[in-house]
Amino acid sequence: MIPVLELQNLSVDLPLGGFLTRGGLPILQDVTLSVGRGESVALVGESGSGKTTLARAVMGLQAISGGAVRFDGKAVAGRDGFARLRRDAAMMFQDATASLSPRLTVGYLVTEAFRIHRQPLPDPARTARELLATVGLPPAIAHRYPHELSGGQARRVGVARALALRPRLVIADEPTAGLDVSVQAEVLNLMADLRRDMGLAYLIITHNLAVVRHVADRIVVLYLGRVVEEGPTAEVFAAPAHPYTASLIAAEPKPDPRKRRADLAIRGEVPSILRRPKGCEFHTRCPLARDVCRLTAPDLRPTTSGRLARCHFADQHQE
Amino acid sequence: MGMTVVLEVQNLSVAYAMPGGALQAVRDVSLSVARGEVLGIMGESGCGKSTLAAAMINLLPPAARVGQGAVRLNGTDMLRLAPAAQRALRGRSVAMVFQDPMTAFNPVLTIGQQVADFVGAHDASLARPDRLAAMLDRVGIPDAARCLGRYPHELSGGMRQRVAIAAALLMQPDVLIADEPTTALDVTMEAQIIHLLRDLRTTFDGAIVIVTHHLGVIAELCDRVAVMYAGEVVEEGPVDAIFHDPQHPYTRALLACDPAVVDPASGRLPTIAGRLPDLTAPPPGCAFEPRCGMALAVCSQPVPRRVPAAGRSVLCHRGAE
Repeated sequence: MIPVLELQNLSVDLPLGGFLTRGGLPILQDVTLSVGRGESVALVGESGSGKTTLARAVMGLQAISGGAVRFDGKAVAGRDGFARLRRDAAMMFQDATASLSPRLTVGYLVTEAFRIHRQPLPDPARTARELLATVGLPPAIAHRYPHELSGGQARRVGVARALALRPRLVIADEPTAGLDVSVQAEVLNLMADLRRDMGLAYLIITHNLAVVRHVADRIVVLYLGRVVEEGPTAEVFAAPAHPYTASLIAAEPKPDPRKRRADLAIRGEVPSILRRPKGCEFHTRCPLARDVCRLTAPDLRPTTSGRLARCHFADQHQE
Repeated sequence: MGMTVVLEVQNLSVAYAMPGGALQAVRDVSLSVARGEVLGIMGESGCGKSTLAAAMINLLPPAARVGQGAVRLNGTDMLRLAPAAQRALRGRSVAMVFQDPMTAFNPVLTIGQQVADFVGAHDASLARPDRLAAMLDRVGIPDAARCLGRYPHELSGGMRQRVAIAAALLMQPDVLIADEPTTALDVTMEAQIIHLLRDLRTTFDGAIVIVTHHLGVIAELCDRVAVMYAGEVVEEGPVDAIFHDPQHPYTRALLACDPAVVDPASGRLPTIAGRLPDLTAPPPGCAFEPRCGMALAVCSQPVPRRVPAAGRSVLCHRGAE
């Protein structure tokens, strides 16, 4: 079956404009991933790993310097190509309230996509009501302005906006950031319902691993703009093949005072992309780094358990 | 136990003047924290935890009105001091670390200038570069002497939060209040800040108050926890009791809907249906009653605070059976 979204060796360079740096600064390097129909894939990594740049590149909001984006098996290119893609793939933004124009009513905002993409909208009020009902909001909310919404309501309006043109893929950038735990659970349940009812596929960008465990079938881990591990969520959590993935999982604070961590799973910060480490780019923070890691960059290779990992010793970690 | 109480909040009520009436953000809260102790104040948006934290350092916004109650620091009621005396206490005796380490700093001054200004206002001898650098080193900033010459934007969020903690600790305050200290950070940086705060306890003999909605941070760091709902402390107790033997239905519901504790195979996540009550006219009975799955007829009556065990308290009718 053809995946909804395929990225083939996608690279994004940030132009620096200097004489010696004319080549640009590589933000994303050689990223290959796919999202199947109705599948939910999570993209995880720390700030600066290139997660948001990847989402922007998929939506055509960021120029690609190499590789290809395919939607439904067809290569997407040019302004018109990405404009069409933005009709079939919708984006949910991180800051839900800030992504809503303060001077427009909720009713107008949820139907705005029809106007942007010049789609027929015979009865805007009815369409707005239906969209709001899909995300569990009462019709009266259509007359409100964004500042009158709670965080959870704003997030739902963001989902309703994304669903307006019945997309097949939703790219969600930190869909629950800044929400309280009870509201976060509501938004995650809503996303799961929509996936079941509408056959939506998700590409979820987040650094919240607890969320990933609940919503993603597959997980793709980025470090400094490269994929370092990919595999089915349950397997990756049970036995991470890359030390970076293992560190991220271990760093998550557990809501149980009896399981306090005695030691730090990961030290230091993500290195600057201006000074990428030689060899394996994770070796500067890796608790298991050996000499070969400082000299030779590992490739992204299949592990014996059938996942992908960019580590010289991936198979040993899993034993 | 022989613990010295440094900060005591007694029957405190704080309201905000609003066009539709006064919004009662903090309602009759009593809490205390002892030297060497870490108290967590846990709750969701709108529960009043940030207003309570602001009252603890006497930094309430102008629209806030203290109705009744006291905030005693080493026995002195801070809310009733003259402004100059309040300023002297703030920073020196109570220091605060804010959620967003970027907006807490002035972008056009170097880290060294700002920290020196802050501590120099209280004690000029603390502002010496070698003492500043030593404190930055203590909170885990590599190359601390050079960091003093940097501007806030040159540091990562985690590093800025470390600087904020260092600046607060330079004064050797009696109480350090941290409002959502890790919320703006990546999980790896969050773990490091938690580690740092825990490690500081060995040398810092004041009390620490952590205000957050993040259950994991509370569980990792705190000795005692106060759970807030609709402006009230609905449950208080040792961290292990709160997480393993919660008595209030709200505490139980809150713990149950954290995705970190729910088995992913179970599918749906539990939620808490309904909304916070309107705090301009809070109900006379239990504020959680409309959302509570265990509510009885008596729950619309004023709630007695009961003490199920030493060091614990619960604001719920049910347990009184």
